[in-house]
Amino acid sequence: MDDLVFILSNAVVVACIYGLVAIAVSITWSSLGLLNLGYGFIFSFAGYGAYLAAKMISAHPLVIASAGILTGALGGIIICLLVFIPLHDKPNFTIRGMTATLAISLMGSQGLLWWFGPLSKSLPDLFGVWQVSLFGIVFTSDKLGIVGCSILMLTFVLLWMKGSRRGLEIRAMMMNPHAASIVGIGIRSTGFYVMAITGAMAGLASVLLSQTYYIAPFSGLTPLIKGVSIALCGGLGSVQGAVIAAIILGLVEAMTSRLLGGQYVLITQFLTIITILLIRPRGVAGILDRAREQ
Amino acid sequence: MNDDAKPASSPYRWRNPLAVWGAKGGNYEVPSIQVPDPRTVWDENTAYKVRLHKVGRMKHYIIWPANASRLWSRWRWWPTRRNPLHVRGLYNRKTLKAEKKILDRRPVYWALALLALAVAPFLFPEGLENTLLTAGAIFGIFAAVNICWTLIIGTASIFSLASYAVVGVAAFITSWLSINYGLPWWQLPLIGMVIGFLFGGLIALPAMRLDGFYYALLTLGLNELCRVYFTTSKEFGSASGGLYGASTYIDSDWPPLVQSLVGYYGAFALMVAALFLFRFTNGKRLGRVLRMAPEKREAFAEATGVDYKRARVTIFLLTSIALGFIGGFYAAQYRGVAFSIFGFETVLLGLAMLTIGGIGKAEGAVLGTLIVVVLDKVLITWGPIRHILIGALMLGVVLFLNNGLYGMKRQFYAWRDKKKGEWRSTRAEKGGEALPEEATETDDKDDLYHRRFDKMQRDYLKKLVCDEVIAEHKAKPLGQHSEALERLLLYFRRAPQEDKYALHRAGPNGPYKIVAFSGMRGTSPRIVEDREYTTIEEAYHGVFMRRVHDLLEA
Repeated sequence: MDDLVFILSNAVVVACIYGLVAIAVSITWSSLGLLNLGYGFIFSFAGYGAYLAAKMISAHPLVIASAGILTGALGGIIICLLVFIPLHDKPNFTIRGMTATLAISLMGSQGLLWWFGPLSKSLPDLFGVWQVSLFGIVFTSDKLGIVGCSILMLTFVLLWMKGSRRGLEIRAMMMNPHAASIVGIGIRSTGFYVMAITGAMAGLASVLLSQTYYIAPFSGLTPLIKGVSIALCGGLGSVQGAVIAAIILGLVEAMTSRLLGGQYVLITQFLTIITILLIRPRGVAGILDRAREQ
Repeated sequence: MNDDAKPASSPYRWRNPLAVWGAKGGNYEVPSIQVPDPRTVWDENTAYKVRLHKVGRMKHYIIWPANASRLWSRWRWWPTRRNPLHVRGLYNRKTLKAEKKILDRRPVYWALALLALAVAPFLFPEGLENTLLTAGAIFGIFAAVNICWTLIIGTASIFSLASYAVVGVAAFITSWLSINYGLPWWQLPLIGMVIGFLFGGLIALPAMRLDGFYYALLTLGLNELCRVYFTTSKEFGSASGGLYGASTYIDSDWPPLVQSLVGYYGAFALMVAALFLFRFTNGKRLGRVLRMAPEKREAFAEATGVDYKRARVTIFLLTSIALGFIGGFYAAQYRGVAFSIFGFETVLLGLAMLTIGGIGKAEGAVLGTLIVVVLDKVLITWGPIRHILIGALMLGVVLFLNNGLYGMKRQFYAWRDKKKGEWRSTRAEKGGEALPEEATETDDKDDLYHRRFDKMQRDYLKKLVCDEVIAEHKAKPLGQHSEALERLLLYFRRAPQEDKYALHRAGPNGPYKIVAFSGMRGTSPRIVEDREYTTIEEAYHGVFMRRVHDLLEA
């Protein structure tokens, strides 16, 4: 029983982190039509930003977290400037945009490798070392902190998208980018907001994941692929779908590693994803069946 | 002093040529103006005032002189009806000599490029031979993979990122079979084909349902799945970084340079085989069918009877078989395979090769592979910078070119056409009365010419209106006039009936009022102004002034 709870809680933690990346991928795709595969780079970039902040400024958790979020947002803005702004009105934007983000990812990771060297870095503990016992189950500080922080970030982003003027613009772009531009919503400025906020999400995910893993130039790849898989499974463009998919995939991961063994996790996950996509080609939610056809 | 250069206000006096006979009622001598040459207006209006820009040149064709009797005889690729270089026989329009024109020069370039690659090992500089031969072998294999990949992405429009995964799976399984069951090297590519077919069939299943980017992301995940599976499984040597020990066609007893040479030519042959596959898939029925069904226009193609899904899956399976073959060949060439074939870096570099060259073109795949392999394998001492360089190249190509280096020509033509259109639109001055778009709606083209001529004439006559001429008319409205006034009056008299001015006499001796004809039978003239003229000369002059006014206003 304890074993199962441990695995389940691990799955929830991992799902929270990868869910952040998945929602970032999802929002970018549905509002900008850009399939950003540069989140892997943003992830590592934000990790190194947080690492530098911890080393140079202070090891206070708030400083580290905000440094990660800010560098993540900066990474998003860089990608926006290099990819979205010049390409968004060009022919073949989707393929070229995706390729350009991959190019940035290649350059960025190699740049990080060149600058920081291949040795991985670690961040200090953000949430201290304590644990809470609830109904006889022990939750450690880092797990609670990770889940709490990602839910907080997600709630903030969703509230911001629901309540603010900018969020309204982003939601309008998600519904119909062409009509949004007709009624006076600037595609480029919205691009900046979207990329900054999604970059910040990836940055936070990076800081949170660094509680478990090290920061390395290529450490963003796994979160990217997991995030993309979750986004795919949930339906690109749907936040609820991504949340549901994150929970499903987390459960699959937990059950597989309990019943079959750790090395089969990816296989069962992909079988699940493929099954879901074969039944519903637009993912769990699939709300954007006709919306994004750029 | 030249007469033409005289300003209009100079004291030129016109003498009535009839004065010597005592012209009754006419002027004898009045101040007037020199009449400018009417042809100047014509020349000004018909002159071509637009600045011409030198943009490009005519397409250059190679034309061979040919024996007239053999003008229409040409080679054909057996058993097709196609002729090499698409040669066309024609007669020179000026000299009437028989000539043969080459319409498709690409086979010449292909032959030259392949010849260069074939003789390249003998031209490599001393000391670098081994590096270059190794890089050349990698280039051959990667080019073969990329040619297959460009078939999938370009021709079949299935955005799969799992091509290297298929190669890797085939290479790993064949290596494993060769190590454990002692299969000879020549069986490895054949078994690879079977593996490629099975694996390709498996990943083609979702391709039937998913479109575009959903599939791209899924295959990216599949690639990662393969990487994780093969690196963690014990059978495939999780500890040693790869699986080695398969049988190979390169004998280790040969001297090292010979080994490298054999490896180079083996890979070269593989690339040529992949090029043939590309030619016979993309250039034949399947490729043509799919060119009918580009992305987003599938419904139309389907409505016209194109079974595009079947064609796509066929190409995907064919290519997967080829990729499996390449995987087996890879294992036979390098005695095994490393895990890096499944790496994200490999996919990225492969995509960089395709993007730099141009997706959907065999020449693009080969050129892109050449560029990236040279950067990646030959300049290996540069460290991570070379990958940054490759990334920058890829980014630059994606940002500025629509479809890679081989799409540049078409993009340039499109850009040039756009510029031409812009320049052409700046020439839309209103030369005649009718704009070109109005002209198409007028049935009577004679009317267009008349309006154009009329405008020129009015432009000319406006130059003749001056105080002297008006004073001359006021003095003597009738009789012989100076040339300038005479030209004006002739024009005025020729005006159409509609709105033509006339005089209305109220009593037997005046006063007079100016009226204008309606131009319609049965409709009475309208009164133009209330002013009354007491004498008929005054009234004539009033009409003249009105017409002058109308001329200057128009």
